[in-house]
Amino acid sequence: MNKQRNEISRERIFDAIRAAAPTVTADVKAIQAEAADILRESEFARPDLLADDAADALVQRIEAGLVIGTSCEQIATMDALPNAVDQFLAKYALPKALQVQRIERLQKLNWGSLSTEVDIKNDNTVGLCWAEYGIAETGTFVVHSGPDMPILLNYLPLYLIAVVPRSKILPYMDDYALIANEIAQRGETPRNMCLISGVSGTTDIEGVLIQGAHGPEVLHMIIVEDQ
Amino acid sequence: MQANKPENFYQNVKDALAQPDLKMIIRRTTDKAEAKRAEAIANFPGFENARKQGQKVKDHTIKYMDHYLAEFEKNALAQGTIIHWASTAEEASKIVLDICRQHEAKKVTRSKSMLGEEIGLSHALDNSGIERVETDLAEHIIQLAGDPPSHIVWPAMHRSREDVIKLFREYHKDPTYSEEIIDLVRSARRDLRTKFLTADIGISGSNFLLADSGSSCTVTNEGNAELTITPPKVHIVTAGIEKLVPSMAHAIPLLRLLTRSATGSEITQYITFHNGAKRPNDADGPEECHMVLVDNGRTKMLADGMEEMLRCIRCGACMNHCVVYKHIGGHAYGSVYPGPMGSVLTPHLNSLEVANKQTHACTLNGRCEEVCPVNIPLPKLLRSLRAQSWDKKYEPLTNRFVVKAFAALAKRPMLFQWVSSCGVIFMKLCSRKGWIRSMPLAGGWTRNRDLIEPESKTFMQQYKAMKKAKSDGA
Repeated sequence: MNKQRNEISRERIFDAIRAAAPTVTADVKAIQAEAADILRESEFARPDLLADDAADALVQRIEAGLVIGTSCEQIATMDALPNAVDQFLAKYALPKALQVQRIERLQKLNWGSLSTEVDIKNDNTVGLCWAEYGIAETGTFVVHSGPDMPILLNYLPLYLIAVVPRSKILPYMDDYALIANEIAQRGETPRNMCLISGVSGTTDIEGVLIQGAHGPEVLHMIIVEDQ
Repeated sequence: MQANKPENFYQNVKDALAQPDLKMIIRRTTDKAEAKRAEAIANFPGFENARKQGQKVKDHTIKYMDHYLAEFEKNALAQGTIIHWASTAEEASKIVLDICRQHEAKKVTRSKSMLGEEIGLSHALDNSGIERVETDLAEHIIQLAGDPPSHIVWPAMHRSREDVIKLFREYHKDPTYSEEIIDLVRSARRDLRTKFLTADIGISGSNFLLADSGSSCTVTNEGNAELTITPPKVHIVTAGIEKLVPSMAHAIPLLRLLTRSATGSEITQYITFHNGAKRPNDADGPEECHMVLVDNGRTKMLADGMEEMLRCIRCGACMNHCVVYKHIGGHAYGSVYPGPMGSVLTPHLNSLEVANKQTHACTLNGRCEEVCPVNIPLPKLLRSLRAQSWDKKYEPLTNRFVVKAFAALAKRPMLFQWVSSCGVIFMKLCSRKGWIRSMPLAGGWTRNRDLIEPESKTFMQQYKAMKKAKSDGA
C-alpha cells in the first residue's frame, strides 16, 4: 500500500466534507445525544409481534409460513434433541449423518445411531448449530463466529438445523443491537455476527422464488425449553 | 453486450424500445416487486414512522459525516481492518488490484456490490488476468452473458429463462438439460460451490458501515456474501462513505425499510456484521481484512447541495415504480445506476455534461419520491439538475430554442391562444381515427407510440365557451 497516497486521499476526503459542512459541531456529546434521540422513535416505527411472548411470537411467525423454507418445533430438554433430529432426517429421507457443531452441550448428547462428523463441504448434507439468540420480529436465529463456530456450517449444507434456547429469544432486532453493544463494551465482539432468517433463496430468474440458491434449502429451528 | 454510454442516451432509448420483449421482461419483475412492496407496507402500520426515523438516521450521519468517518476508521483499525481511502473510482479500483497482486491472487470471488460496478472493478480484474467469479446468481448470469447490470437489485432482470438456459449449457461444467428454474439454480449452485471454496480473495460491498464498531454489514437473500468472504485468506470490502450509520441500533430501522422497499420481504434471509479479520483460534474466516472507503463524487454532492441523495440505501423501489424505467429498462441509462436515483447520481459520479439527458427522462409524476424509504425528493433534485444543465448550456440548441420560444409565447396570452388554436387544427389534420401516428416536429413522440388526437377546441376556447354558457344561462 502506498501510505503517502492513502494519507493524501484521506485528507482530501475529510477536507471536502468539512468544506461542504463548515458549521459542524465538534461537541461529541451533543452528537451522541442527537443520535440517541433518534433511537427513541423505534417504539413507534417497528412492526407488531404476533404474540406477547417473544418465543411464542417467533414460533407463530414460522408456523404462519412467514420465514422462507423454515419449520420449527419445541422440545423440553436437550436430551430430546437427538430424537428430534432423527425424525427430521427421516422426514426428508436423509442418511443418518450430519455435522454437529463442536460445542460441549451438543457433543455430549447421546446421538445413538446418528453419525455426527460428516463433511459439510459435500452438498446434500445436514448441519446442526447452536444459536446464540433468536429474534421474534423476523423469525431469526443468530450465530457468532468463534473457535467452536465455523461460519460455513450455516451456509454450506442443503439442510440446516438450528437449536435456539427459548430464554434467548428476543422480541426485536433492536434488542439484539443492545446485546451486540454490550458484547463490544466487553471487548468480545466476534468476527461475524450472522442474523439468519430463513433459507438461501433467489428470485433472479423470472422473479420465481427458488430455495437453496447457494446455502440451505431447508431450515428447521428447534427451540429448547430448559436452556 | 457492450455497455451503453450515458451521453448516447437518446440512441440507447431507441435501441431499448426496438427490443420487442424487453418491456414485458422488465414488467414481469418490477410489477411483482411493486405489488409485494405494497403488501409489505400494508402489513406494517408503523411504516411512515419508520421512514421518518430512517431519514433522520441518514440525515444525522450525513450532517456529522466527518465525525462518524473518523470514528469508523478508529474502530475498524482497532478490529484489525486495514483502511484505504480512495477519492476516485480509478484510485479505488487500483487499490483493490494492488491488494490482489500483493497476495498473488489468481481467483477472486465477489458478492454483488453496486459500488464495485461503479468503480469499474469487474473490468479492472478482467483486464489484470485475475479470474473473477461473480457469486450472486444474477451477477453470475450477466457475467456469463457479458452484460452490464440493468437493475440495482435484480441485475439480470433483462435476461429471460431461455437466455439463462443457453448460457448455463454453454458455460457450466455439469449443466442441466432441464428447463425448470429450480434445475437452473441447482446448476449454478454446483458450478459456484468449488469456486467459493478455492478463491484466493473474497470481495464484498457493504450495505452499512457501523461507526461505533468499525463493522461492515452485508445483506443478501442467497447467503453468497458469507460464502464469498469466509473461505479465502483475504477479504476486501469496497464501500461508499455514505454507507455510514452511527451504530448497529441505527442500522436496524434502515434494514426494516430496505428489504420491504426492495423486494417486499419483511427481512432478508442473511444479514451479517463483519468485524475485521478472523480472531486467533477462529474456526474459519479470512486472515486479513481490507476496507476501501470511496468518495468518487459523494463529497461533491455534499458541496452541491445534493446531500439528500446521500440518504439512498439502494433499494431500487424508485425504478420499480418509474414509468420511464419500465419502458426502457436499465441499460438505456448508460450508467451503473439507472432509473430516478441513477439520473440524480450519474451526473455526480460522471458529469452533468454527459448525463444531463437522463434528468429529462422523467415525467415528474412523483411516484419515486412517494415510495422512497428515506424520503429522497427525487423530482426536486432532478429539476435542480435540469436547471444546472440549462445554466451551463448543456441542452441542445433546438431544445433551447423551443423552450425560449415557449417562454416568449407564454408571456403573450393572445398570441399563445392563437398559436394553440392553430396547433389544434394542425394536429386534427394529422390524425386518423382518433390517433396521430406521425406528425412533423413530433417524431420524438410518435416514433415509438401514437399521440392521441386533441379535443376540437383549446382549453381556453372551451373555458370561454363554458363561461359564456353559464352567464347566458344566468
